[in-house]
Amino acid sequence: MRAPFDLPADLRIYSAIDTRDALLAWVAEEASAGHDYLQISARDVEEVDGSGLQLLAALSNMETPWHLVETSEPFAQACRHMGFAYWLDKRYLKTQAGDSAS
Amino acid sequence: MSYGTDSDSDKEFIAQAMPAFISEAAEQIEAIETLLLELEEQPDNRDLLDSLFRCAHTVKGSAGIFGLNRVVEFTHHVETLLDKMRDGDIALKPDISTLLLQCNDQIKFLVDTAADESADTPEQKDTRADLVIQLRAHTEGPEPAVVGSAAPTAALGATGATVATGPCVWSISARFGMETFRNGMDPLSIARYLSGMGRVVSVRSGVDTVPALVNLNPESCYLSFAMELETAATREDIEGAFSFVLDDCQFDVVAPETQDRKLARAIEEMPETPRLGAMLVSVGAVSQDKLDQVLSTQQQTRGMPSVGKPKLGDLLEAQAGVAPEVVAAAVAKQQKLRDNAPSEERYIRVQADRLDAVINLLGELVIAGAGATLLARATHHVSLIEANLQMNGLIEEIRNGTLGLRMVPVGETFSRFRRVVRDTASSLGKEVNFEIVGGDAELDKSMVEKIADPLMHLVRNSLDHGLETPQERLAAGKSRAGHLTLSARHETGAILIRIDDDGRGINRERVLQRAWNRGLVEQGVVPSDNDINMLIFEPGFSTAEQVTNLSGRGVGMDVVRRNIEALRGSIRLNSHPGVGLQVDIRLPLTLAIIDGFLVGVGASKFVLPLESVVEVIEAADQHTLVDASGRHVLELRGAILPVVRLRTLYTIESSPPDRVSVVVVNSPRGKFGIEVDVLLGQHQTVVKPLGSLFKSLRGISGSSILGSGEVALILDVESLGALVTAEQQSAASRAELPLGTPVVQQVKAIASV
Repeated sequence: MRAPFDLPADLRIYSAIDTRDALLAWVAEEASAGHDYLQISARDVEEVDGSGLQLLAALSNMETPWHLVETSEPFAQACRHMGFAYWLDKRYLKTQAGDSAS
Repeated sequence: MSYGTDSDSDKEFIAQAMPAFISEAAEQIEAIETLLLELEEQPDNRDLLDSLFRCAHTVKGSAGIFGLNRVVEFTHHVETLLDKMRDGDIALKPDISTLLLQCNDQIKFLVDTAADESADTPEQKDTRADLVIQLRAHTEGPEPAVVGSAAPTAALGATGATVATGPCVWSISARFGMETFRNGMDPLSIARYLSGMGRVVSVRSGVDTVPALVNLNPESCYLSFAMELETAATREDIEGAFSFVLDDCQFDVVAPETQDRKLARAIEEMPETPRLGAMLVSVGAVSQDKLDQVLSTQQQTRGMPSVGKPKLGDLLEAQAGVAPEVVAAAVAKQQKLRDNAPSEERYIRVQADRLDAVINLLGELVIAGAGATLLARATHHVSLIEANLQMNGLIEEIRNGTLGLRMVPVGETFSRFRRVVRDTASSLGKEVNFEIVGGDAELDKSMVEKIADPLMHLVRNSLDHGLETPQERLAAGKSRAGHLTLSARHETGAILIRIDDDGRGINRERVLQRAWNRGLVEQGVVPSDNDINMLIFEPGFSTAEQVTNLSGRGVGMDVVRRNIEALRGSIRLNSHPGVGLQVDIRLPLTLAIIDGFLVGVGASKFVLPLESVVEVIEAADQHTLVDASGRHVLELRGAILPVVRLRTLYTIESSPPDRVSVVVVNSPRGKFGIEVDVLLGQHQTVVKPLGSLFKSLRGISGSSILGSGEVALILDVESLGALVTAEQQSAASRAELPLGTPVVQQVKAIASV
């Protein structure tokens, strides 16, 4: 089974550059493995701000589509507040938080 | 609320579009002033108020696009006051009107100096801050419902905020600048804060503005969102959420639309809907069944006199519960259709330089066309002559159409004077009823621009020196408020602009005394009344006693006359002491091309404006008589017609023919004749200005190049009329040129160079 990319617990401006670099490296690996979509897990995210959400918005503008497969409540709340609730797609989510997403 | 952009293409676009913005903003600012002044007279006119708000909103919105923060921030306060007026919370009183006019001046200053922040001096900033304080005193001071700690918004963290009458849905959009994160701000926090204010109906963030991850600088912010928020909070509360990102965010908070307002707007936007009931049914304001019931009720009143008969709108309000606002919108729509209001006019904006270039080329085309006609006639080839005639007809049509493009109504300039009159009268403690008549008369745009300053001076002069104070007027048996009328009308190829007041008129004794004292008139000599009146236009006539900060702004009346004459115009005064003063300014409609009537005297050619020509008569040279005052005259159908002899007037050296023609022309001073040798027919005349040497040449307003390359002089009928009706046509009335030099030969020499 493929392993998703695990977003860090602190998804804020303080770690944004590191997260972007890690995410980019992982995206390159996935592309070389021939995967036609990416899986992201926000299960561990405890703190998030606009810059963290912006990383995923930027990921949306890469060639390979991505899905959120796991989420934490803080991350899901942030998505709802900021207008990214459509990332919380129940078809791909495995966690309770995703069930509450509409 | 600047929005930073590092895109060169964006900057280039903004630089290119800025002049258009400034030009359009200037129009909106002018409209704001006009609307405010109209609203003063019709305070209950909702359409005017709506238009006023739209203008302010347009200026603010456009300025926002260009990142003109000072304009946006200041206009926002103005808009808030206007919004309160639209809501009926604040009525337009004189102090508010004055405040809004001052605010409009400030907006104009900010737009004019958009590209130059250094122009925003500390004094201007203080003025602006003072205006904002006054605006806020109106918008925040008398608000009846101030929320205490128990109010719903208190829980949301808003302090002292006002609430609307009930929850409604606001549209909020925000686009954050790149420095937002680096400045310690977070769009997510703002979105969260907003959602705490009420129920988020919808919120959506865009990803299109965010670069791909591979290009992303994670510390730069590219986020934006659009939110529909149902809340009882006020606009101020909502905008308060952005208070910490004002410099890093472009946001918009759009007022909620009530259901009734939505219906009213749907009606306003309908293209063609004839019947009231059908309109209301089609937008869902009333069901068809209910409408039928109401119509049936109305049917029962058939036969009643129309005065007491209930109107359908009233019945719909009373029996079907249709909101009055909705009925009013439908009735207004019907009225608009009935009035056959013109559909929205379409304009394109063209640079004046381009238009001038076309007109210049057109002038050359007219001359070339005339040359081609001469050559065609010389061939005696009928088909060629006919083809040439057809071509000239088309050139004439193009000429008329093209010149028409430059014509604008003078009313646009006149309406600027409303503010001048209002403020000047107020500062002088005078009361004035100002009227504009014939504002739709059209004049060449360049003329309109050039005439504005002289007119402004004359209007100020009437207010300052002409009209009396209310006390003086009452004492003189006049109405308390003076009357000042600015009118325009077309008159034989010219436009007549008249400034008419019912003030004290010109005090001729004082004028003459001052002229004697200043050596303008020889001591003891008393000129005619008209000549005394005209002394006020003499250089050096104005005195310190006369110069006030109103009419004496460094431009004397002599400059006013000079500016008008530079436009080939003339100025006349008609003063009745104690009754009023009439100032007539006559200007040619255009400076470019006129329809002329070509005549010849000896080898010289002259052009008369065709509009002035009444008829042509033939006479033996000796038939013109000389009356007692030395004028040449002719008896025409039992009346004496003064005649001017161009040969004599301009010292044209040639033998007169046995029979001459007399062209009878109309001038403001009456009919007179111009004796010429030959009539050469109608001629499209491209007006070329005279050189400075010939500016003082009387009776000539310009020159023109004929198709043959010859120069023709354009006769100024009005000044010729003044010459011919003068008591003595002396040698002094001839051109002020070296003696013995024929005038026409000199003009030819200059024009040929």
